[in-house]
Amino acid sequence: MTAYFIRRFLLIIPTFLGITILVFTVTRMVPGGPIERMLTEAQMASGDQVSFQSNNQGIAGSTLSESQLNQLKEYYGFDKPVLESYGIWLKNILLLDLGYSTRYGEPVWESIKQRLPISIYYGFMTMLLTYVVCIPLGILKAIKHKTPIDNISSILVFIGYAIPGYVAGIIVITIFAFYLEWFPLSGFTSNNFDELTFFGKIGDIIHHSVLPLIAYMSGGFAVMTFLMKNSLMDNLAADYVRTAMAKGLEFKTAVVKHAFRNSIIPIATNFGENITIFLAGSFLIEKIFNIDGFGLLGYESLVERDYPVVMGILVIGSLLSLIGNILSDITVALVDPRVRFGG
Amino acid sequence: MAILNLSPLTIKTLKRFRSVKRGYWSAIIIISLILLSLVAEVFVNSRALIVSYEGEWHFPTYGAIIPGEEFGLGYQYETNYRDLKQKFKEEGSDDWVLLPPVPYNAFETDLEAGNYPPAAPSFTKQHYLGTDTVGRDVVARLVYGFRIAIFFSLFLLICNYVVGTAIGCLMGYWGGIFDLLFQRLIEIWSNIPFLYVIMIIASIIVPNFWSLVIVMLMFSWMGMTWYMRTATYKEKEREYVMASRALGAGTARIIFHHIIPNTVSIIITFIPFSVAGGITALTSLDFLGFGLPPPTPSWGELLRQGIDNLQSPWIVSSIVTSMILVLTMVTFIGEAIREAYDPKKHTIYE
Repeated sequence: MTAYFIRRFLLIIPTFLGITILVFTVTRMVPGGPIERMLTEAQMASGDQVSFQSNNQGIAGSTLSESQLNQLKEYYGFDKPVLESYGIWLKNILLLDLGYSTRYGEPVWESIKQRLPISIYYGFMTMLLTYVVCIPLGILKAIKHKTPIDNISSILVFIGYAIPGYVAGIIVITIFAFYLEWFPLSGFTSNNFDELTFFGKIGDIIHHSVLPLIAYMSGGFAVMTFLMKNSLMDNLAADYVRTAMAKGLEFKTAVVKHAFRNSIIPIATNFGENITIFLAGSFLIEKIFNIDGFGLLGYESLVERDYPVVMGILVIGSLLSLIGNILSDITVALVDPRVRFGG
Repeated sequence: MAILNLSPLTIKTLKRFRSVKRGYWSAIIIISLILLSLVAEVFVNSRALIVSYEGEWHFPTYGAIIPGEEFGLGYQYETNYRDLKQKFKEEGSDDWVLLPPVPYNAFETDLEAGNYPPAAPSFTKQHYLGTDTVGRDVVARLVYGFRIAIFFSLFLLICNYVVGTAIGCLMGYWGGIFDLLFQRLIEIWSNIPFLYVIMIIASIIVPNFWSLVIVMLMFSWMGMTWYMRTATYKEKEREYVMASRALGAGTARIIFHHIIPNTVSIIITFIPFSVAGGITALTSLDFLGFGLPPPTPSWGELLRQGIDNLQSPWIVSSIVTSMILVLTMVTFIGEAIREAYDPKKHTIYE
């Protein structure tokens, strides 16, 4: 077992290398990269100054001198052969030096680090709430199979499954924030957050996070509930439960002590995927609720063509997703001692 | 059933599919919607269906534009049929115009004097769901947006399945180095946040319909590949494959005549979910502004307008309702197909 996980962790290395090559290629082919961006900015800036000093800079079109351009190219590694600059970039990544944001001028890693807690908060809460709600609901639906409770909740869960999370977000914003005004429209905290007491702060965060959490949960919620329901029903139909019932065990005991433990296994498989969910789908939801997390940073840096940040987010996002996959396997092994990974 | 030679097994599956009522009806509705959307010009269009002018009938819906001069209007550009209808009415002449139920197309802006768009729904103006922020008819945007989204996702699905089945079958059938190589490749590919990479690419090249299909294909072929690989692995070990190989069948024959027909249930089961996924992905991209360029009618763009203009509830409510209806029905179909192929019989204790 240990050997298997060591091998899994070692396999991260080639996969990660592959990802970095891909990311590097994508951003290398990008026109309108940092240098073009700086050029336009310099042009615009000089355009403003033209009225003051029209004769100082004679060169029309390009406002940067040849040497300045070369300096910039050197800074971004565009002057070196592709392989060499890839090597340098990779080395920097391993040292968590993701370069400087062209928009803010601060290190990319700093920007990402600032946003991560918010994304982690939402990711963790989503996961927790999904488990807390879905497992009991799935059990209830399995036991009450084909009763009105099951059918009505099925339709709701189905709709939640069919529409993407951000559309669910739009629905709850429209109803609960805009018309009923029960919850704030957007943001992570109120403007007067710093003045609040400790409990006021907690209340404020909760007040702001109810709607986004509904949006985050809507997709995974349905999958989990049905997974729980179906796997419990499969287990209830299995011979060992029938034997337990034949022995005279109460139905409740048979469910809780026998079927439940086995049916929780597929749920555990889903555990690691949650890590990727709060990264992949999050920029849509963060954009709608204007939450300044990892996803919104990714979206804004893309709009602003802040490529060092874009690359950093791609690299970190992929790394987290790799780790998530392994975490899934570990949880499966922990929940189900029969699972032996190998081969 | 002489023309369609269905095996008893297929007929049984079809019967089971029909027995799942909500899935069966959803399938009928969705297929009719797709077919009707092909001739959407007849229902939602600024061009008239029939114009009777001086005893002669014109059918402007399809074909070249008819300049205003043709109908005695003093201009050379395309006839405004709504004005024409008004004019005939005022003159009380025998000429008449038959307009489609929604007499607007998806691109024209209908501005009222003194009022800024968006305009609320109005039956007299025949803007049944109002207009959007530029003054375009919401029904027209919805209908043509649906047509683009559904065909986008159908084309994407076909491409994905062709590529996925081809690579997946070969991975499963050949195994060895080929399998290992693609396994690694898929792992790399699928660990990249896919929507984000598409956004990066879309921010570089302004995509059109086909280039967006290709870009999406590049990052979504892995799903089907993985399922087909596993299925082929299983099928390859079965006796019938060994038997046909002993009879001298080649790789292509075994894959196309034996393995694929036996794994077709996997492919069909995934179709509705891929359709829903395709619509969702295109809508998300359009919503973020990285999809098809404006003024293409698009659901994502309407969603964006809706959330930005919550004080005009007709935009957000009509687009959200359409999305819920279409996506839920597609999911119902998926559930029914799965049920048809793999009926679940459960033991229930009293």
